[in-house]
Amino acid sequence: MLSAGLILFLAALQGVTELFPVSSLGHAVVVPPLIGLNFRETDPAFVPVLTVLHLGTAGALLFLYRRDWARIIVGFFRAAVRGRIDDPDQRLAIMLVVGTVPAGIIGLLLQDPLKTLFGNPRLASVFLIVNGGILFAAEMFRRRDERRRAAAEPAHAALVHEDGDPRFARVEGLSLRTTLFVGIFQAGALLPGISRSGITMAAGLVAGLRHEEAARFSFLLATPIILAAGLLEVPSLGTDSPTALVAIGAAIVAGVVAYASARFLLRYLRSGRLDPFAYYCAALGAAGLVFIH
Amino acid sequence: MKGSRPLALALVVLAVIFAIAAVFFFTVKTTFLTTGTHPAVHWKHAIVFAVLAVLSLVAANFARPKAAVR
Repeated sequence: MLSAGLILFLAALQGVTELFPVSSLGHAVVVPPLIGLNFRETDPAFVPVLTVLHLGTAGALLFLYRRDWARIIVGFFRAAVRGRIDDPDQRLAIMLVVGTVPAGIIGLLLQDPLKTLFGNPRLASVFLIVNGGILFAAEMFRRRDERRRAAAEPAHAALVHEDGDPRFARVEGLSLRTTLFVGIFQAGALLPGISRSGITMAAGLVAGLRHEEAARFSFLLATPIILAAGLLEVPSLGTDSPTALVAIGAAIVAGVVAYASARFLLRYLRSGRLDPFAYYCAALGAAGLVFIH
Repeated sequence: MKGSRPLALALVVLAVIFAIAAVFFFTVKTTFLTTGTHPAVHWKHAIVFAVLAVLSLVAANFARPKAAVR
């Protein structure tokens, strides 16, 4: 059985890493053995704890984008009833459905077989390095795109970052086909070490979104998946589950830390890039391969 | 978008199939399309198929030909 202190540590770890493009699952698998915590991911209490933490993180995302979600939900029902898209909110609602359904189906089909990977920190370390490579490649493509666009439109070449730059799009400007592909690739996050937000942010950047918009797109896409992952596991919570008080405390810790992390990331990406996260993932993965036996 | 009646009909048929699958997984103990070895009611599969049924109907509504707006 996991101790209350360990559960709260995992809650803080989950809160930071779920929304940063560094893989929360990869961290939950690699970090405890790396720092010598007496904890196995195959512990029967691990999945119930993750469930509670997911609910906390989803709550934070819903609060962060509460106005967007109110418009998105209304937009979805209006578009569904009329059978057409009349405004950007309705378009965003349909995009989120298109991006969520493939990830949800693939996730449900592959979730159980892939759970065996949770007990393999060295494999998770390899996937963390792959995740770093994905982030690095996305920024490499973005830099090439920026140079190409600057050459085509010299008037915008003086802008040091794309914030406010008309050459880069908002989420609502993405095509439904691109959103579908992003949704399919999102399922890669079932592998411990591959980050859901990392994949979606990388795909958003390659598709021409501004960095901050890529993060917004990632967070909006993540919300239904994280919420469903939490809610669908609630009935499975059994005798191995943490006590109610610890569970509520862990969900609050995960939610508060996730909210702060998301606000930080959105502010950082107004002028920053994903490279530091790429280097961090590669370093953590390498450390896992070297020190975990 | 002009709309396509055959596509809309196909999506309605798909919705019916998903709805039947949802009822099946809600009511029958099975290992069909699951990783378990012991038959059980797979309510998660049932919920997913129910959601897919609703979304197929929504997609059919998008795909159907619309009257021209004057």
